[in-house]
Amino acid sequence: MNVSTLLTEEQKRRYRRQLMLPEIGEEGQQKLGRAKVLLVGLGGLGSISSYYLAAAGVGHLRIVDRDAVGLENLNRQLLHSTDDLGRPKVESASEKLLRLNPLCHVETAIVDIGDKNASGLAKDCSLIIDATDNLATRHVLNRVSLQKQIPFIYGGINGWNGMAATFIPGKTGCFACLFPPERTRPNETEFPALGPTAGAIASIQSMEALRILLGLPSRLAGRLLTFRGLEMRFRSTPIEQDPECSLCGRPQEG
Amino acid sequence: MTEEVPEGATLAFLIEHFQEKDRALIVEHNGRFVFPKQYSTTTVSPNDRVEFINPDFGG
Repeated sequence: MNVSTLLTEEQKRRYRRQLMLPEIGEEGQQKLGRAKVLLVGLGGLGSISSYYLAAAGVGHLRIVDRDAVGLENLNRQLLHSTDDLGRPKVESASEKLLRLNPLCHVETAIVDIGDKNASGLAKDCSLIIDATDNLATRHVLNRVSLQKQIPFIYGGINGWNGMAATFIPGKTGCFACLFPPERTRPNETEFPALGPTAGAIASIQSMEALRILLGLPSRLAGRLLTFRGLEMRFRSTPIEQDPECSLCGRPQEG
Repeated sequence: MTEEVPEGATLAFLIEHFQEKDRALIVEHNGRFVFPKQYSTTTVSPNDRVEFINPDFGG
């Protein structure tokens, strides 16, 4: 892979509208180009976050999903189309991401992510984006986030509602501080799902991802941002690390 | 909404009282997240604000 220190004319043109932002500029754009991100789930959330990250010039996306595109996905999973029915989601996704931005390296994995393969899937990545649809997989991502000491941006949706938070090993608590593994809820096989909810939460996750990759301070670390679409309200709950967390517990630095 | 609860009621009591069955429930007490293990030892006082948040795990 070419690691150029300067933007090409094509890149300057492609990213022109975001290069205008002082927080990005050519230096920031180069950082994005060098970044490697693990994105798990190419459904409602993943369709949007993978698309925005590829569009913004994140250099390398590793996308993971074991599912195929189903008709019931198409009320919200914008990366896939009717022509893709029956196709593995990561293949459908990869095709569209590369069509949008051929400069993005997209690696696909048609697997279930679990403790056995998570470390390999997260290899060389500096960030994990949660676009999964169940609690158990989020715990896997949390464990690998702690193992690799890389940030994990949680996102979840249900009907009109959604929430997001960033967990940064060594700086904040972890996902298990918020959701101790022993307090599990039975997996819902089908949850209500509306497109704009996925769009809203995934956009928030994408913006946070870009912020972190640019080296800016996280704005979702230490807080849970909750969106309630029927009331059209956001609320923010500060969350602390649990010193007795079974995964990341340590005394708070004084 | 304002609710009247017995004096010295704990968060655990409120969860039971309002029949919150969600095992992954998030509780905010006066704007702060409360660790689940503290539900049975955190008492509420007059004018306290308690929010029950049902987390979203779809994607």
